[in-house]
Amino acid sequence: MRVRARYAKDGRLRFVSAIDLGRVWERALRKADLPIGYSEGFTPHPKVSFPDALALGYASTGEYVELTFAVPVDVQRVVTAFNGAAPDGLRILEAAEVIDGAPRIARWLRASLWELRYPSGDTGGLDNGVRALAHAEHLPVDRERKGIATRLDLKAALHQIASNENAVRVILHHTEPPFRPTEVHQSLGTTGGLEALDQPRLVIRVAQGSAEANGLREALSGQLLSVAPNDHTAATSQADLRIP
Amino acid sequence: MSDSTTPQSVWPRLEPLLDGVRKPARYVGGEDNIVVKDHADTDSRWLLVYPDAYEIGQPNQGIQILYEVLNERSRTVAERAFAPWPDMEDLMREHDIPLFSLENHLPLRSFDVVGFSLAAEVGYTNMLNCLDLGGLALRAEDRTDEDPLVIIGGHAAFNPEPLAPFVDVAVAGDGEEFVQELDDLVARTRRADGALSRRALLTQVAQIDGAYVPRFYEPRYTADGRLAGTFPRRSGVAYRVPKRTVSDLDQWPYPRKQLVPLTETVHERYAVEIFRGCTRGCRFCQAGMITRPVRERSKETVKRMVADGVANTGLNEVGLLSLSSADHSEILGMCGELADTYEGTATSLSLPSTRVDAFNVELADELVRNGRRTGLTFAPEAGTERMRRVINKMVTEADMLRTAETAFANGWRHIKLYFMIGLPTERDEDVIAIAELGLKVLAVGREYGRKNKVTVSVGGFVPKPHTPFQWCAQDRPEQLHRKLGLIKSRVASDRNLNLRYHDPEPGLIEGLLARGDQRVADAIEGAFRRGARFDGWNEHYDHASWLAACRDAHIDIDWFCHRERGEDEVMAWDHIDSGLERDWLWQDLQDAVRERPLDDCRWIPCYDCGVCPGLDLAHQTKHLPLYAGQS
Repeated sequence: MRVRARYAKDGRLRFVSAIDLGRVWERALRKADLPIGYSEGFTPHPKVSFPDALALGYASTGEYVELTFAVPVDVQRVVTAFNGAAPDGLRILEAAEVIDGAPRIARWLRASLWELRYPSGDTGGLDNGVRALAHAEHLPVDRERKGIATRLDLKAALHQIASNENAVRVILHHTEPPFRPTEVHQSLGTTGGLEALDQPRLVIRVAQGSAEANGLREALSGQLLSVAPNDHTAATSQADLRIP
Repeated sequence: MSDSTTPQSVWPRLEPLLDGVRKPARYVGGEDNIVVKDHADTDSRWLLVYPDAYEIGQPNQGIQILYEVLNERSRTVAERAFAPWPDMEDLMREHDIPLFSLENHLPLRSFDVVGFSLAAEVGYTNMLNCLDLGGLALRAEDRTDEDPLVIIGGHAAFNPEPLAPFVDVAVAGDGEEFVQELDDLVARTRRADGALSRRALLTQVAQIDGAYVPRFYEPRYTADGRLAGTFPRRSGVAYRVPKRTVSDLDQWPYPRKQLVPLTETVHERYAVEIFRGCTRGCRFCQAGMITRPVRERSKETVKRMVADGVANTGLNEVGLLSLSSADHSEILGMCGELADTYEGTATSLSLPSTRVDAFNVELADELVRNGRRTGLTFAPEAGTERMRRVINKMVTEADMLRTAETAFANGWRHIKLYFMIGLPTERDEDVIAIAELGLKVLAVGREYGRKNKVTVSVGGFVPKPHTPFQWCAQDRPEQLHRKLGLIKSRVASDRNLNLRYHDPEPGLIEGLLARGDQRVADAIEGAFRRGARFDGWNEHYDHASWLAACRDAHIDIDWFCHRERGEDEVMAWDHIDSGLERDWLWQDLQDAVRERPLDDCRWIPCYDCGVCPGLDLAHQTKHLPLYAGQS
């Protein structure tokens, strides 16, 4: 039986790499005594798969996992037992059984809603910067890889952007190559004219799903999330995200 | 000891820096089974430090055990710290962040006791770096009453002299009981509002069995620079400080709730010691000498610890640890019953295998059952039977080949062989025989599979304190390079024989630190000041800095390392009583030179090494002696 879950990664755990996090998942499942399925062969691996990886340092309430159990399980029991066994900073927020034949979860992960939280204090002008980004025709961002500098256009990925006093929320399409929220910050400095803007204190992936006219439709629940920072629907409430 | 103002966590200042360092998970804590206590509710606060990178230090058994023993005391808190990687050290110094604990991210100075676990000498410069990053003066005499007590333990503490000026207390042997006795004293002192001066406190510490307080002792030297002795400066301290030994391992079933790392470490397994001590009598082996007598943990306790340990951690590997695990009197039943329990599950069992015999292969087979047979490791240690008689590693070539045959026949595909070069009385033929033996084992392997492999791993021998070889000259790096060349030229042509070896240079400094006296402290400090860190890591080891530091400190490495010592020479560690009689060690060296082996005293009559009567203990094992009349 397959279960698909959206989970949070935050607190100290945001400094744990995607590879390490896989091991943390496997141990928590074993510790919770959940009947996870194993692959065949000499070195059986637990059937835990992740559609994508979150970069080191980001917090998230929008990570996804697919678990294959050896026997039928009660989904709510899985959530309770797992959350009881997992270390602080890792917990399942929502889970559902996967119907046979359902498309892979990756298919529903077309865009991410990010939140960049800036240190409180003088961040005056975030609104202007965000407006500038929203209206710009191009958002050139510079990258260097193996000594080769390239210039990409962030505008191709930018779906919607909004802000309040010290947070910016942005919906980025999953493009190839993907854009990073730090490049939104970079654009705020260049195109947005906010050269003196401090690095964000915290970057959070709020959710993943598909970009729509009014926001992002979260992949697992189908809930529509607005890009506006003060719009705290159930899926993105502060209670979901325990940042120390 | 530290004052009672509320210490401030460094976390808010540390967190923004974590984006800029490699492997930030090393510094965040948050592991499963971590114990986080509010210091306001405690009477004593310990910081346990393993002075190497997190991924090396985190799995350390000593730290894990003492962490639990101390934290089980309701009014005591123990936290952990590790040596920061150089990228983090740079940022810490730039941002004025002191060495911190992983639990509450509190600065080193907010603890009452800072305990360093020293498994090996290569951690010494990291230890000084940790003190320095913690904001402490390096030398104990320069520290104040408000500073934490600095204490060292672990195998390297059996010769504490090179570190003596930097520490307040050294303790040799098992820590479980000692830390509780010291903790009682520290808590009592703090409850009395820290009214004791450092000196008065240490006077009381010195009364604890096993505590060596260097400032109460004084080394004296003869006119020609030899040590005349290490003498008490005052009455009321032990002339020789005994090691600590716990007697019933079943009463100390730790770790129960082993800390589970969030990031990859060198050993990701639930580890249970199935016994402590070893009486195989390998003459080069410091661990086997200083941990006597043998104390077995019962099969029932081991099984219970494994069941709880796996349930409490979610780990899927179990290691049954000891110095020679196949020697446990109940090992076959233990392995069989554990294998029954975990057969068909994702949990795998392992036994560090060093004994060269078919029984060891049988045990490995039993543990793996139908699982994958990858590599088995054996330690014949030397290439010829003559050399093995010298070091008392009683394995014949026929034993080795038969063991290899059994292993390959049972489906094992890779055999690793551990050897040493630079052993006392060694001749070129002994060295070449290492290559020959590797090739013979490979020839056996080929009969069972074209792709079967043999790895020959060669290390340079470093004479260690409290062993029969403590009097012996260590080979120079040039000699070791030449001997490695003899092996290389013999095995270079074979693709399925993999030769691994260590650079000889770090071994030279290891030897200096192992057998050095208090004068060597200046060289350690000098090397640290010159930037020496992570001396056990090839990419960091800086031989030139060490040589320069030795020169500055007027330390003659030749004299410490490459000189044959006389029977009567006073050793820097003679005042640390490991229980072994010096006369017996000397006699065992004479037997070594005459190529006379000595059997294991678990099954022959006692040969009076001195440990059991001194501790008023006997071996705790269910082995039956082969001869009647064993005490």
